[in-house]
Amino acid sequence: MSVHTVTKEQFKSFVSALIASDRRVVGVQAKGDRFAFDDLKSAQDLRLDYDVTILPPKKYVLPQQENLLTFQVNGQSQSVCHQQKTVLIGVHPYDMAAINQMDMLFSQGEYDVHYMNRRKQITVIACDVARPSPNVFASSMNTATIDHGYDMLVTNIGSSYVVEVATDKGKELLSLMNGARDASQNDLGARKAVWDKNEGWLNQHKLDCKPSFLPKLLEKSYQHPVWEEKARLCYSCGSCNQVCPTCYCFDVQDEVNWDLKTGCRYRAWDGCLLQNFATVAGDHNFRKKRADRFRHRLYRKGKYVPAKIDGQIACVGCGRCITACTAKIANPVEVYNELMKRTEIG
Amino acid sequence: MTKPRVAIFDFACCEGCQLQIVNLEEDILKLIDVVDVVEWREAMSEQSHEYDIAIIEGSITREEDEHRLEIIRSRAKILIALGACAVIGGVNKMKNNFDFNEVRQCVYGKDGQMQHLNTERTKAVDEVVQVDFKIPGCPINGAEFAQIIRSLLVGKKPFVPDYPVCVECKAKETICRYEYNQICLGPITRAGCGAPCPSAGWRCFGCRGMAENPNVDAAQEVMTLYGLTVDDLKQKMVLFNSK
Repeated sequence: MSVHTVTKEQFKSFVSALIASDRRVVGVQAKGDRFAFDDLKSAQDLRLDYDVTILPPKKYVLPQQENLLTFQVNGQSQSVCHQQKTVLIGVHPYDMAAINQMDMLFSQGEYDVHYMNRRKQITVIACDVARPSPNVFASSMNTATIDHGYDMLVTNIGSSYVVEVATDKGKELLSLMNGARDASQNDLGARKAVWDKNEGWLNQHKLDCKPSFLPKLLEKSYQHPVWEEKARLCYSCGSCNQVCPTCYCFDVQDEVNWDLKTGCRYRAWDGCLLQNFATVAGDHNFRKKRADRFRHRLYRKGKYVPAKIDGQIACVGCGRCITACTAKIANPVEVYNELMKRTEIG
Repeated sequence: MTKPRVAIFDFACCEGCQLQIVNLEEDILKLIDVVDVVEWREAMSEQSHEYDIAIIEGSITREEDEHRLEIIRSRAKILIALGACAVIGGVNKMKNNFDFNEVRQCVYGKDGQMQHLNTERTKAVDEVVQVDFKIPGCPINGAEFAQIIRSLLVGKKPFVPDYPVCVECKAKETICRYEYNQICLGPITRAGCGAPCPSAGWRCFGCRGMAENPNVDAAQEVMTLYGLTVDDLKQKMVLFNSK
């Protein structure tokens, strides 16, 4: 739509103006020695220089737990939907890619009104990555930079920010940004230099093939020994699922109120690594073995989900699972590279 | 509908879990609105031999307690184990690691050999009688207790997580203790508490007992990753998970 340049002070004033508006404003902040998305109380707290957040911004489009409906026992129910204008500041390209995927997944087939209503209320201000986190491999997954999904994209070019406005929602915010001027050729060149750099250096783990090759690789790998070798140490704790920006599975539970006549139905994050993720009626568990569950996650990322979203690989290279896994077995690059080494592809 | 009659009994414990029920505050009024509490030593004087639901706090450490528990079981339609002591034996099971004469001597000194201080191997409630539902934790989580009771009252299977505490730490964005090379029992301990200990900077102490199918075989190799040993892990497990 349009590309502007603002000084860092001007951008800070813009964030202050957002906070003063009627919107909920969420931004990346320090949390101990890490970073996390949280409600922003002051523009001062925003940390666009972060490497990675503990949890992805997924928690704002698909919260850890959310009420779906209220009901009367043996009676009627009423859908509960979220209605609060929210601005997310500081979404990295790989996390944006994950939200773009979820937008497709939750709107296709059975349209998920809870997710979509929440999503429509959210304006995303993405930002390019300032420095690599210890386990990022976005460069390997082609998600180190991104060209769509955000409403506004902010790139630090040193002395100032280049701000791209991509949608009407982004344009609406632009009115709060005083002092923005049109980006010069030099500014655009500086932004391109950031992109070029990020497309190379956000790569602490290097995937030995193009991501688009993964579905074909996995077609031949179902019986591979690597699943058992890795899963031997798996705690089935689901940490890799919980921190993943593209894991969207949830469990649904009903709770009844003290009147024993009314209650609510909520959903909460689930994880396919958990022992009873696949337990169905009659207590039958169709993925009882750790190795089966371990394999399933990597098939979801590299084959099953891509089949639903035009071949996009459902691992965006954020590296959070690598950090979160206590047994140090979750690294998708390690597994896929191992398959590359030991699988014959005809 | 007649209200189900509930009796709450305590065995070897600190009564802290019953206190958590009392601590429900306003909700306790809603609770006694939907059940008829007929015996609860900690909160009332009345007693009764007729009840539908028996809630048992505490572990079983004496022969006469086993007998008392069996009688309660025979009178109750539903028996619920309340808190770590009842569900897994809890801290009282630490005793099982020692010679019982030494234990008596250590705790009671010269009076240790008195007849009424006789003690036997600590057992969880389900090692003595059949348990229908378990509410784990030291102490129990009041909100979880309330949710389980409400579920039972409407004939619904209560939801108690069987997965590890890690799930709740991750959801709260608590940084894993292992990232600081510190031991934590979270990966093998049943969730449902909301992971308050790790989020306060402690490790998980394992008070809710084991998650379903914990990967004990992984311990050796995984502890090595953090410069820790299986003995370090076992030492931490003594507190709540002694046999």
